Amino acid sequence: MKRVVVFLVLIGFLGGIAFSDVPVRKEELIYSILAFAGKEYSGTFCRQDADTIYLMANVDNFLTVRKTLVYFWPITQDWKVDTDALNKPFEGTIVITGKKIGEKKLKQVRYTYYNAPGEYEVNWKVFTGDAADREWKKYSKMVDAYWNAVEKYYQAKAKYEAELNKLTMEITKARKAGKDTKHYLKILNSLKEPKEPTNRPKYYVKPVEKAFIFNLPIGVYRIKFINKDGKIMEGSEKKLVVFGKRRSNGIGYDVIPGDKWTRPVQSKTPASVLYIDGTTDLYLRPFYQDEFNDLYYNKMIKNDSKGNPNIIKWVRIQQVPKARVELIKKDGSSVVVLEKPYYVEQTKGSSLGYRIVPFDPKKYEGRSPSLRAFHIPISRNIKYMKFRLQDKNGKYLKGSDRQIRIIVKSNLSFILFILALLPIGIMFLVLAVRSRKYYAG
Amino acid sequence: MNYRINATRAIAKRKIFETLISPGFYIAISIGLFLGYFLINGFVSSIDSSGLNYSLNSVYELIARFLSGTFGETFVVKLFSEGPFLFALYVSFIPFLFYLAISSVFKFGFEKKVGAIELIAYGPADGTAYVLASFVKDFFFTVIYLLILLVFFFVSALINNLVLGPMFFYSLLLIIFLSIAFFAYGIIASILTDNAASGIALFLGIALFFIIVKMGSFAIVSGYVVSLSNVFAWIVKWFSPLFYWSLGLSAIGYGNVGLYLISMLLNILLTVALLIISHFVLKVRGVRV
Repeated sequence: MKRVVVFLVLIGFLGGIAFSDVPVRKEELIYSILAFAGKEYSGTFCRQDADTIYLMANVDNFLTVRKTLVYFWPITQDWKVDTDALNKPFEGTIVITGKKIGEKKLKQVRYTYYNAPGEYEVNWKVFTGDAADREWKKYSKMVDAYWNAVEKYYQAKAKYEAELNKLTMEITKARKAGKDTKHYLKILNSLKEPKEPTNRPKYYVKPVEKAFIFNLPIGVYRIKFINKDGKIMEGSEKKLVVFGKRRSNGIGYDVIPGDKWTRPVQSKTPASVLYIDGTTDLYLRPFYQDEFNDLYYNKMIKNDSKGNPNIIKWVRIQQVPKARVELIKKDGSSVVVLEKPYYVEQTKGSSLGYRIVPFDPKKYEGRSPSLRAFHIPISRNIKYMKFRLQDKNGKYLKGSDRQIRIIVKSNLSFILFILALLPIGIMFLVLAVRSRKYYAG
Repeated sequence: MNYRINATRAIAKRKIFETLISPGFYIAISIGLFLGYFLINGFVSSIDSSGLNYSLNSVYELIARFLSGTFGETFVVKLFSEGPFLFALYVSFIPFLFYLAISSVFKFGFEKKVGAIELIAYGPADGTAYVLASFVKDFFFTVIYLLILLVFFFVSALINNLVLGPMFFYSLLLIIFLSIAFFAYGIIASILTDNAASGIALFLGIALFFIIVKMGSFAIVSGYVVSLSNVFAWIVKWFSPLFYWSLGLSAIGYGNVGLYLISMLLNILLTVALLIISHFVLKVRGVRV
């Protein structure tokens, strides 16, 4: 009997595995999209069933047409592609039609791009055709030079460490034998540790690929893909929504509470109020932000995502370089706070906490700051304060004003309860007067 | 014309007095204030070191989840960016708006059925003066209630160190014009129907229709649904007070004061149009059942 039960359980278990949900992969023609999202390039794809592609206006966006396997992944509730199993790009022409441009035919071009280092985070450069090849060669040379330098560095370091070991042993031997070690020490002092190569490329250049480059004005278009045989590919006809920003150069802040430095919140809405309980200091990181339609932006980042078509949202673009925060206290006095590096230090003991301390390069030699931010000291005694941002020239930036309000639970809340009850009290009074008048008259 | 104004004034005074001595008015105010009280208290208890943390209060967690799921996260962030008062204002006001509108529709239907309006119409007033008086009474109590809410929220802000915020004040003004258009629809509903129950049913039908269409076009949806609801909303938006109200809110979001004023003007025009239609319908149908 026991054997039968075990057998049945085993069969049930194996059956469960055999019939468990495996996402069904479906062969589809997709548009693979590298869309410029205001601050960086973001990759997504448009399924055969999806009817619209969303792109930002007047910037280069890269699209390819390919056949691949598409499946729905229930754990993350989104669509995915299995390019390992099938990834067949198509050569051909994309025809775009729209009121502003009439009919436009796009051919695939070789392209590459990179975000050039500089004062700003957003400094994208796009190269096409031969310029793309040249840029890729230039970058490859830089990478090769760097890795050669790294190789040489490790060779030199190994040699240095071997000599160091040898000398240490000889010094120890000489000391044990009671001999003079001056000669060895002189050699030891003359040894120089090799320095790490500093020619590491500060940016990444994407390998040259072929794509259709979409750089269109704001509008709604129709697109279709025509293959080499001159036929429209089934499932390639889509609506294309090209949108722009509503407003730009707004000011937002990353607000980092001292006790949750890994979970910053963002204050994006101008005139919004930062309500906090005042138990810890705040660290601010200001950034420029642009305003986009919520649905369009979300769908540009991920074509199968959702969004609100009637709401405009702010999107972080880049940090405000060399800014200063002016802190205005309740009495009207103001203090200018500068951006400083901070280090997150583990607290000693069993509490497993941490604290944010100013970064001391000597104390933390060989380490880099955990964050660079503006420190706003907070106390539960302060009821509120305001702050705003100045740019590097000391000019106040519009839309950068914010208020901080320290919320301490009040003991006077019962007043509100009484106020809310007051109409009922008045009602009883009115009813009493009414009935009195009724009986009197 | 003058006689109608005088009659409207006299009936409106009487209606205001009747409302003031009825218990429903006070209960509606109290319900609104209690809703506001709980929302503000919930907000205060949801604040931690990094700001508003919905998970600290179960009611707020539920509200935030529902609103994020329906209208998107951006909507929720914007709604509470100045504090709890914008949300509390709408939640506290809606029950009172429906109380006023429904009680007027009910009263018109009831008085029409018992022949009270017919009796007035034989005297110095007519049906138009009666519905105008009802409209004036609703408008009067809307302003009074908003003033009560303003005082209540102001005291709440003082006690809890909160800010009422510019969006709250802009909304406060918009709500008046949104309400008058709804009251005008209430009048239309009571004129077109023969009794109180069908009048209320028609009014609620109209109001819910506008609310559902507005919510549909405002909700986070995927491609097909958004196209469908937008087309539908485009057709009915010209008759919907909610469309002009949301136009005003969007205008303030963009910092466009001109469009904000225009949105209020458009709601006034809609109200006037509805009242004129009511006048002519009343002329044709009369005040008899």
